[in-house]
Amino acid sequence: MTAPRQVALAALALLACALLAGCGDQRPPGVTAGDPARGRIALAQYGCRACHMIPGVTGSEVYVGRPLEHMMRRRVIAGKLPNDQPNLVRWIRDPQAIDPGTAMPNLGVSERDAIDMSAYLLGH
Amino acid sequence: MPATRTRLILTTALATLLGAGAVAALAGFVVLRAGWYNVAATTQHFEFVYRMLEQAMHYSARHHAQTVLVPALDSRARIVRGAALYHDNCAQCHGAPGVAPGLHGMGMQPTPGPLVDASRHWKPRELYWITRHGIKMSGMPAWEYHMSENELWDTVAFVMELPRLSAADYDAMTAAQPEAAR
Repeated sequence: MTAPRQVALAALALLACALLAGCGDQRPPGVTAGDPARGRIALAQYGCRACHMIPGVTGSEVYVGRPLEHMMRRRVIAGKLPNDQPNLVRWIRDPQAIDPGTAMPNLGVSERDAIDMSAYLLGH
Repeated sequence: MPATRTRLILTTALATLLGAGAVAALAGFVVLRAGWYNVAATTQHFEFVYRMLEQAMHYSARHHAQTVLVPALDSRARIVRGAALYHDNCAQCHGAPGVAPGLHGMGMQPTPGPLVDASRHWKPRELYWITRHGIKMSGMPAWEYHMSENELWDTVAFVMELPRLSAADYDAMTAAQPEAAR
């Protein structure tokens, strides 16, 4: 292998590393914790998709709960809470504590899973 | 001459089709037999595959329910009996207003849909047909083996009533259920 070719290969490898690292660290503004990839699966495994349409999570066309796209653009969640990650986690874990009349049940979501879910939702 | 030429074209076209079909079948068999398809519940169907299967389910249920004769469903007693049946047998997977499904229901794939909007998508006879016969590969059992004919219709009557119930209404209806009402 010639020297210029080796240099080109090394540069390519460096670029690939930089790109991968960039993707790994990518968290939307306002999201300080959680693993979005794990959150996406958790949203399916807690049955969230049964009532809510969620971008990137496969399921039926359903309007029982409101669609959850563009979450980061919302100012308020549940009609009263400022939309930030800690409040979204609170709502996911115990919606009835915030709005006793809501049809959304307490699904027994663990704190870790709720943080991961919120990280996914606020990034889509 | 034109006849020979036409025959050659047809033979070539047929051989190409058969060859392509054989290659596709072989490729499919290899993927299947090698176990490359991931059956884990944590991997999803493609959206278009899911939608196609769901549409097929809708068409099939609508078609097969066409001959079902619907009894009177609006009696209060029927709806109250249906509430108890729903609470005992359906809410574990489908949930209810303010009530989460059980852990197994929550995690099932496909996710058992909420039934609070079922009466917007289905006629009573279709709900009856689905409840009675179940849905293949979805986990929905055929309830004709676990409920009487009357109980099936009680359940349908209650599901038709569900959109009108708040979480508090559902709670009141199912909490105040004496065993004798069934």
